[in-house]
Amino acid sequence: MKQSYVHGKFIRFIRTVLIFLFFGAILASHAQVRTITGTVTASDTKESLPGATILVKGTATGSVTDIDGRYTIKVPNEKAVLVISYIGYTPQEVEIGKNSVVDVVLVMKKTTLDEVVVIGYGTVRKSDLSGSVGSVKSEDITKITALNPVQSLQGIVAGVQVTSSSGTPGESPIVRIRGVGTFNSSDPIYVVDGIIMDNIAYLNCGDITSMEVLKDASSTAMYGSRGANGVIMVTTKQGKVGQEKTAYSFTGEVGMQNLAKKINLLNGHDFAMISNEINPGSYNNIDAVPSTDWQKLIFRTAPIYNFQLSASGATKKSQFYISGGYFKQEGIIEKSKYERITLQMNNTYQVSPFVKIGNTLTFSPYTQQIAPDVTYAAYRAKPTLVPYYSDGSFASVPGVGNPLANLAYSNNFNKGLKAVGNLYAEISFLKAFALKSGFGVDADYNKSENFTPAFTVYNSDGTISQQQNLLSTLSKGTSEDLTWLWENTLTFQKELGKHSINALAGYTMQNTSSSAMGLLGSNILRDNANFWYINPNNIYDPNNNVNNINSFYDNVNISMNYSMISYLFRVNYVFNKRYILTATFRSDGSSKFSENNRFASFPSFAAAWNVSQENFMKNLKFINKLKVRASWGKLGNDKIPYNSRYAEVASNIITIFGGNGSPNSGASFGINGNPNLKWEVTTQTDIGLEAGLFNDRLTGEFDYYHKTTDDILILLSTPGYYGNGPDQKVWYNAASALNRGFEFTLTWRDKIGKLKYNVSVNGTTIHNEVLKIGGASGVDSVLVGGYLGNGIPVTRSKVGLPIGAFYGYQTNGIFQTQAELNAYPHMSQAGVGDLRFVDVNGDGIIDGRDRTYIGSPIPTFIFGCNVGFEFKGIDFSFNIQGQTGNKIFNAKQAVRPDPYNFESSVLNRWTGPGTSTTEPRASFGGYNYTPSDHFIQDGSFIRLRNIIVGYTLPANWSRKITMQSIRLYVKADNLYTLTRYTGYSPEIASGDVIGSGIDGGIYPITAVFSFGVNLNF
Amino acid sequence: MKVNIKLIFIIPAILTLVVFSGCSKFLQKDLQNELTQQSFPTTAADALLATNATYEILRDWYYNSGGYPILDIMSDDARKGSNPDDQLSTVGPYDNFTFSPTQDGLDRWWNTLYVGVKRANVVIQFVPAITMDPARRTRYVAEAKFIRGLLYFDFVRAWGGVPLVTNVNPPQHLARATKDQVYALILEDLQFAADNLPLRSEYAANDLGRATKGAAQSLLARVYLFMHDYVNAEKYAMDVIHSNQYGLEPVYIDANGVNGNNGKESVLEVGAIQVENTEGGGAQYGNVQGVRGTPNRGWGFNRPTVDLRNSFETGDPRYKGTVINLGDTIDGVPIVGDGPTPDVTKDPQGNIIEIECYNRKVWVPGNNVATQFGFHRRLIRYADVLLMAAEALNENSKPADALPYLNQVRERARQGNNAILPDITTTIQSDLRDLIMVERRHELGMEGWRFWDLVRTGKAPAVLGPLGFVAGKHELLPVPQSEIDISQGTLVQNPNW
Repeated sequence: MKQSYVHGKFIRFIRTVLIFLFFGAILASHAQVRTITGTVTASDTKESLPGATILVKGTATGSVTDIDGRYTIKVPNEKAVLVISYIGYTPQEVEIGKNSVVDVVLVMKKTTLDEVVVIGYGTVRKSDLSGSVGSVKSEDITKITALNPVQSLQGIVAGVQVTSSSGTPGESPIVRIRGVGTFNSSDPIYVVDGIIMDNIAYLNCGDITSMEVLKDASSTAMYGSRGANGVIMVTTKQGKVGQEKTAYSFTGEVGMQNLAKKINLLNGHDFAMISNEINPGSYNNIDAVPSTDWQKLIFRTAPIYNFQLSASGATKKSQFYISGGYFKQEGIIEKSKYERITLQMNNTYQVSPFVKIGNTLTFSPYTQQIAPDVTYAAYRAKPTLVPYYSDGSFASVPGVGNPLANLAYSNNFNKGLKAVGNLYAEISFLKAFALKSGFGVDADYNKSENFTPAFTVYNSDGTISQQQNLLSTLSKGTSEDLTWLWENTLTFQKELGKHSINALAGYTMQNTSSSAMGLLGSNILRDNANFWYINPNNIYDPNNNVNNINSFYDNVNISMNYSMISYLFRVNYVFNKRYILTATFRSDGSSKFSENNRFASFPSFAAAWNVSQENFMKNLKFINKLKVRASWGKLGNDKIPYNSRYAEVASNIITIFGGNGSPNSGASFGINGNPNLKWEVTTQTDIGLEAGLFNDRLTGEFDYYHKTTDDILILLSTPGYYGNGPDQKVWYNAASALNRGFEFTLTWRDKIGKLKYNVSVNGTTIHNEVLKIGGASGVDSVLVGGYLGNGIPVTRSKVGLPIGAFYGYQTNGIFQTQAELNAYPHMSQAGVGDLRFVDVNGDGIIDGRDRTYIGSPIPTFIFGCNVGFEFKGIDFSFNIQGQTGNKIFNAKQAVRPDPYNFESSVLNRWTGPGTSTTEPRASFGGYNYTPSDHFIQDGSFIRLRNIIVGYTLPANWSRKITMQSIRLYVKADNLYTLTRYTGYSPEIASGDVIGSGIDGGIYPITAVFSFGVNLNF
Repeated sequence: MKVNIKLIFIIPAILTLVVFSGCSKFLQKDLQNELTQQSFPTTAADALLATNATYEILRDWYYNSGGYPILDIMSDDARKGSNPDDQLSTVGPYDNFTFSPTQDGLDRWWNTLYVGVKRANVVIQFVPAITMDPARRTRYVAEAKFIRGLLYFDFVRAWGGVPLVTNVNPPQHLARATKDQVYALILEDLQFAADNLPLRSEYAANDLGRATKGAAQSLLARVYLFMHDYVNAEKYAMDVIHSNQYGLEPVYIDANGVNGNNGKESVLEVGAIQVENTEGGGAQYGNVQGVRGTPNRGWGFNRPTVDLRNSFETGDPRYKGTVINLGDTIDGVPIVGDGPTPDVTKDPQGNIIEIECYNRKVWVPGNNVATQFGFHRRLIRYADVLLMAAEALNENSKPADALPYLNQVRERARQGNNAILPDITTTIQSDLRDLIMVERRHELGMEGWRFWDLVRTGKAPAVLGPLGFVAGKHELLPVPQSEIDISQGTLVQNPNW
């Protein structure tokens, strides 16, 4: 007995430990009295319902149906009642009696409005929602082979623009929700299981159960201080209540990436021909010159891998989800890759009927290798040059450097660990109340390492070219970012007859601190990675200038920190399921602002009317749901550096005095700060309509939004005499901008016989306009930005124009003859065959005052279309996505300090009167390269973003090898893009909103062909 | 239930504590490793730091006319340099006067000068209130005023009247002062500096490079030359000469070379160390002009023209001291040059228009690129002071008094070889005027003075006209378009731009 007692205690101990180690489900539950089996089918389709939940009423015992709709459940006695439920169907209760087989037919609900949507600090039934929220579920999130889950929103959710502007492995796309609302960061915030962050690249797509995009003021107001650019809620997976059988899932995917499109550049012959036209005699025999395709040399086919294994389930008191993922993407340019491991552990534990505790934890080590920027060099390098000399050494490429040598000598790594975790406890009391306290941490530890060996590329005559690194150099950096967030909420939920009230009050604190340190050493003992360390011999000592070894980092050791405190309140009131009122209030204090401007309040109000619930709608049978809603609210933004309000002292100044010179320390006023900075505020109004017709075969959602942002935090150039220095800017609250437009999503979902299909289209119009810049507080009424490689700005954000509008000369043809040249106003440098600039102000001379608006980088319409078919286990889907109305400034073509290769458009150049009215005579630089609309191209495109064909093996086959389901699929991403843009990709975006749409040479996005398998067992 | 009750009490208890206690403190985040402008400069040590910082701007790359030596390139002494295509559209237009108000470099120069003005104003405005040794305090202020005068003198020569900033908080809208107002401030600042700065010999050896009484007087002489006030120019140049603080280096190349760093000929010098970046103490000035190719010492901009090469008198050693030719061996290093740069460039008629060569004056012995960053740019040489004295005396109708100073310069250039560079003997004012200009060209060639010498003496249209110079326009640079834009029209462009 004693032994058994000890044994029992031991078991309990082990069980507790295991539960806390997230393996609770491995423990089989104790033997039950009876086993019930059965199938669950749908009344309308007569098909089985996999994934339906079966619960023993009044207990936590439950089960989930398999792929064939079968379930097995153990019940304590004959009086047990099973509750069978499935999303979109009316739950059913069945008394067991003496039956051992219970088959259930579920009846579809009249509407599917009761889908639950995640909103800030809670969830809400979609029918009770008064705001505008777009939602994506896990199936759609894994459709694209992507590192960053946010890419799955592209072309799926109306109002969301996701631009993958670069194919650099590990690069995050640019996300814009309902246009560009500000001049500083327009990035939305992400809330992952309650933790607020800026980027979700660390998450594995397969670990996400849903992403919700909160768009209007009412739904984002809970994140008032930072919700102005929209909020993306991410919910990671969790075991289902009652799912006692552990479900395992494996996904494996292998793909090949290729350059989606090459740029049309001149070959050696044509380049020599054009060169001879510009500088006669440059090439003696244009038929005998080499013809190097530099693009071909730098791009390769590269693999991409994605594997994930997960387990989820539940015991009576706990649910768990654990997964491990591995993602590796080699770049299509050598020396670039991204590798990531993700471990995800989510648990909830019902400590008692009133107390629930839980955690989410993601642990994600990553390694990124970054290639040097060689695409621009490959674009520019003359095709008449060879990459190697006959002895195999790198040949010199004047002006741009040999891109292959740059690649060969590049070793640039970024390694780190991202860990995000959240622990919470929730106490329910007095039936209607719940108090929840959660503590989360978001930590990123990063180490950078960049080694360049000593090397020299020689000119063909044996002299040393400019591409040389005399001493090996090694830079090492570390950075650490740690944010903690403590959130406490009290919710009250009560239904009283026809009244339903849900209220929430909360208090949150957040603190972010980060620091970075860097060192630069040189003359490293050996070139191999075992010696990538810095010792005193490698560090520059200003007083002992040995070996002329140089230097420090700009920032040897920097640190920053900021904090925030918020109070939040929300009341949601529903009367008779028809009338919904929501009021939200949030007050935030940010350490970024000085005491007087620290706190700001963000209220919002929303109302919705479920028209279809009204009696007068009962006769309109074809309309099964109809809701109209409206919201208004204010949101904030504080995305500025933590020290912007301070006028800093530059304390890193060195002056050299005495004899041959020795360093003396200096310090003086640096860039002026702005102590008057305050919150940027966005006011948004949204009017929406949701409808379901023909028993939800046709569903639609329409929104009109109107967003004005005032007191925009903006970096302005100050007058030179402020003494801030060249290219330096200061933050001001000094602009207003407007975004308005319509959004729609229309979905048709039906079946013909065994063929199920769905077609969904969505679109968003964007009208973006600057309402004000500068004014009393600022000094710069035409915000200049978009600097080209040569330092010339090509955007101006002026009142009445879109943010970051392109600015330059307008052209209207080519000077065909000397007489024409003489007859028109022109710059002194202009000659016959050159571009004709328009004398916009009509003063008879062409000068800087004639520069004008020449296009907008912001699309006026973005759209997506998703089509899916399912037939006898075969699934086929594709996704088309695109945008129109935006322009691209082809900066790589416009900046030419040296004679570079040309895009093939030069072949249509002007060569004499009447030969061309659009393409000027060939030249290697100068007048024709003045920023003008000659370099503006149409950025509209339609892209076949993704196409998938999958096959799910018949259930009886897979069961033979003890699998629940096996699905094989092939897919292609970025297969085809219809565009007139001549660059690698028309998706040109930048985090800098006033420098967007400028293509200065990018790492091209890739076309990916992949094969994958999903196993469930 | 025990656990629940505990939690129910613990969480609200912690919450209450936090909400009502630490809130305001929690939102006060102090700057890390950064002083604010309210807390600096407040001590004697701060005063030294602030004063030192004013000099740093002279080593800033953009202090050198926005990055490239455009004042030589715009003159008849130099062409753009490097290979024909390098910076063709950014620097090239200065070579043939096709630059515009948006031209690369102008805004950087303009902005950088004002950074220096701001740093000088920090000292001038705040250091007088610091409790410290009064003599030292006065010296710091005088040093800062010297730097401010130097910077505004660059401004007024390049652009004419500019917004005049004399404290650290200028108003938002500030129009251009007149040229006379700018000159008035320059004279006031430099006079204060001349009255209060120590002599060169009064500084410790490791302080050489700081502004001196002699530097202030020399600069005043230069300013007065530009103002055509030859009486004052003569006075201040003679003050420097009579101070006996300066002399000529026996060897001409040492006047700019490492052997003469902070030597007796150096009146104002910008120190630098051989480090390949500005933040660490290097100077880009020598790197931009250093030999391109083999040896790889820099980018090879600012190439001596054929005209300058041919203008030297027979056997003048200063030719070799100004021009590096391919095939030369300097400090044991053979000069091979740059592959993509043609050794000789001819026009369609077959005339030689450019020969690959480099600026000898920025040469620094050594074995890599970084050495070139250690070039000490001379802003005022004693030889220049002698020539200024000669010029002023001649203009003041004392040509005979001018000759000794002119010939002192020639004598050093001669370096003992009496077969060359005979003494000048003419006392005809106009002849001597021309001869002094020629002497300035040969003595000070490639040091950045030629363009302004031509402009101030009115010779620019005649000499530079064939290169594209337009009288009434190119005497001044255009105000950077970006500054005009930012000012919302408060700043007015120079005439004819």
